[in-house]
Amino acid sequence: MNEVEPSIVSTPAGARALPGGLFTRATAELLASLVARELKSRYKGSVFGFLWALLVPLFMAFIYVMFLRLLVGRGVSVEGIIVGVFAWQYTVQCVQGGMTSITSNSNLVRKVFFPRILLPVAVTGANLVNFLLSLIVQFAVLAVLGASGGLGIGGALWALPAVVLWLTVFNLGLALLLAGANVHFRDTQHLVGVLLSAWFFVSPVMYDLSLVEPFAEGRPWLMPLVWLNPMTGLLTAARACVLPDVELPWTLWSTAGLLIPALLLGAGVAVFRRAQRHFADLL
Amino acid sequence: MAGDSGQAAIIAEGLGKRYRVRGMAAPTLFGSLARLGRTVPVPEFWALRDASFEIPRGRTVGVIGPNGSGKSSLLGLVAGTITPTCGRVTARGRICSLLELGAGFHPDLTGRENVFLNAAILGIPREDVRRRFDRIVEFAGLREFIDMPVKHYSSGMYVRLGFAVAAESDPDILLIDEVLAVGDVAFQLRCLDRIRDLQRRGRTLLFVSHALQTVEEFCHEVFLVHKGSIVARGEPAPTILRYIREFMGEGGPVFTQEFGSREAEIAGVTLRGADGREAGVLETGQAMHVDVSWRAKRRIDRPVFGFAIKTGNGFQVFGSNTQLAGHPVDAIEGEGTIRLSLDPLALMAGNYMLSLSIHSWDHAQQYHRREDWYPFAVRNNTGAPGAFFLQTRWSNPPAAAT
Repeated sequence: MNEVEPSIVSTPAGARALPGGLFTRATAELLASLVARELKSRYKGSVFGFLWALLVPLFMAFIYVMFLRLLVGRGVSVEGIIVGVFAWQYTVQCVQGGMTSITSNSNLVRKVFFPRILLPVAVTGANLVNFLLSLIVQFAVLAVLGASGGLGIGGALWALPAVVLWLTVFNLGLALLLAGANVHFRDTQHLVGVLLSAWFFVSPVMYDLSLVEPFAEGRPWLMPLVWLNPMTGLLTAARACVLPDVELPWTLWSTAGLLIPALLLGAGVAVFRRAQRHFADLL
Repeated sequence: MAGDSGQAAIIAEGLGKRYRVRGMAAPTLFGSLARLGRTVPVPEFWALRDASFEIPRGRTVGVIGPNGSGKSSLLGLVAGTITPTCGRVTARGRICSLLELGAGFHPDLTGRENVFLNAAILGIPREDVRRRFDRIVEFAGLREFIDMPVKHYSSGMYVRLGFAVAAESDPDILLIDEVLAVGDVAFQLRCLDRIRDLQRRGRTLLFVSHALQTVEEFCHEVFLVHKGSIVARGEPAPTILRYIREFMGEGGPVFTQEFGSREAEIAGVTLRGADGREAGVLETGQAMHVDVSWRAKRRIDRPVFGFAIKTGNGFQVFGSNTQLAGHPVDAIEGEGTIRLSLDPLALMAGNYMLSLSIHSWDHAQQYHRREDWYPFAVRNNTGAPGAFFLQTRWSNPPAAAT
């Protein structure tokens, strides 16, 4: 026994592992294993396997483009929709996977001590890997569209990592909040399903802000509200990174909206830590 | 305190766990909103209360008690999966819980992938698993199935792989909750071997079991838990005896029945081992004495005392009486004791139930019959396997004349 022995100290404030707490090598290895499990199990047994991670957002984008062309006509760029749908899918998967990350592992949570926070973090991590791979497809599609007379790729590409990071911060915050909430209130799942579809329509996923701006005339409260939805800033930023002629306006309200992910992550961690004390009792 | 605790593997101070009984339904958001502003008294109960103990490193402690007494809560608290309501528990060293084998196995992943995943969850460095991988597979006996998704495994294979990972992880503290009653007999024996091995290497074991003979055989100390309190702790034999006397059999969780006219009654029974001392766990191949005290309200001529032994799951092993055994009793009146001896005891390790009866010589009159009345456990120290212990003798045959 040359190293300091690990201990688990359990008090009404929760169980803690000492020394090192959360940031140890063992935790990193466990996180890597959980991410790998998440990715492996998702596509095992399916014919296309990992390709689904790329095909799903592509199909979604295709469907949206077709319908929008039918309903709205011209006005929204195909490229804009593709970028929007890919990023939106990332958030949706984190919300859905994160929400059930504790309840679907109830066996584990009730029987073995390990940092529970790793479960929603692993879901987010696995979806991040998926998202990064889907970005390759996204660029390929944009390039093909560009070669056939589309917008092509351009914009503040250098800022893309920052946008991905910020989107991940937002998604992780949501996953943490919902993971804890779903253990304590099982109707979270149903509520979130409804809210997600409402959120889809109020976020500029299959439209961009040029479509909203006409409505804002004479309604000074509308644009601040739109910008306070963090998804507005994130999607616009994602488009500004890869598409020419899209800009993220830095106004008071867009900045406020883009601060929300950080606040949400902070709240998510705090809420999760409180909620996890009762996981074993409620599962 | 500080000096002592350096030696202790597990320290609990005023540990308690209270549950609020929310009824059958899962908690819902709307339910909480509906309750908001109203104070609905929520019934609560203490699964464990005021538990304070220290378990020194290298010791094996058994936890026994009736169902629902708080045994599993105690283990969950030590494992860190259940958050205490009050108090504090510290477990020093790497803990591995065999609370549920194969918890965390993913059905779609192969055995190999699951071994690494499960090990990571148990906090074993990846490098160590890689080194021990062959031994894990060997122990589980799953070499040809290791690259198959575990959803195709039988439940026995599942459990074997789970145990193999846990046992090969060489934890400092091992928590075992009634999981050794799975798998085939050969695997169970290997598990017990493994546990002995861990004991030899100075590991700390805390284990919950209803197999009293295993508890007596393995543990240095036994905690008796009842209604959330540790009501007794000490040497295995007397603590197990107290458990059997107070919480099993009559008034305990076992369903016992009584019949008869009660003109003559079985007033009490004492089980004694070969040394004549009262015991709750008897030994295979040694003598077992059953002292039956009786009470007769009037003179009864030629009564018959009978007994039957069943296994814990109701299979009748043997039954006889004074009539069949050729030991007729002339008459009884007042009070007295009769001794039944089983020498050598042919039962193998396990939990058993003793039934006793008094009836008339012609079986027409049942005076008193206590069915499944008195529980006891048997431990096998002979090392001989099988269904029964047969008394044997080996010798050189007399030299045959040629």
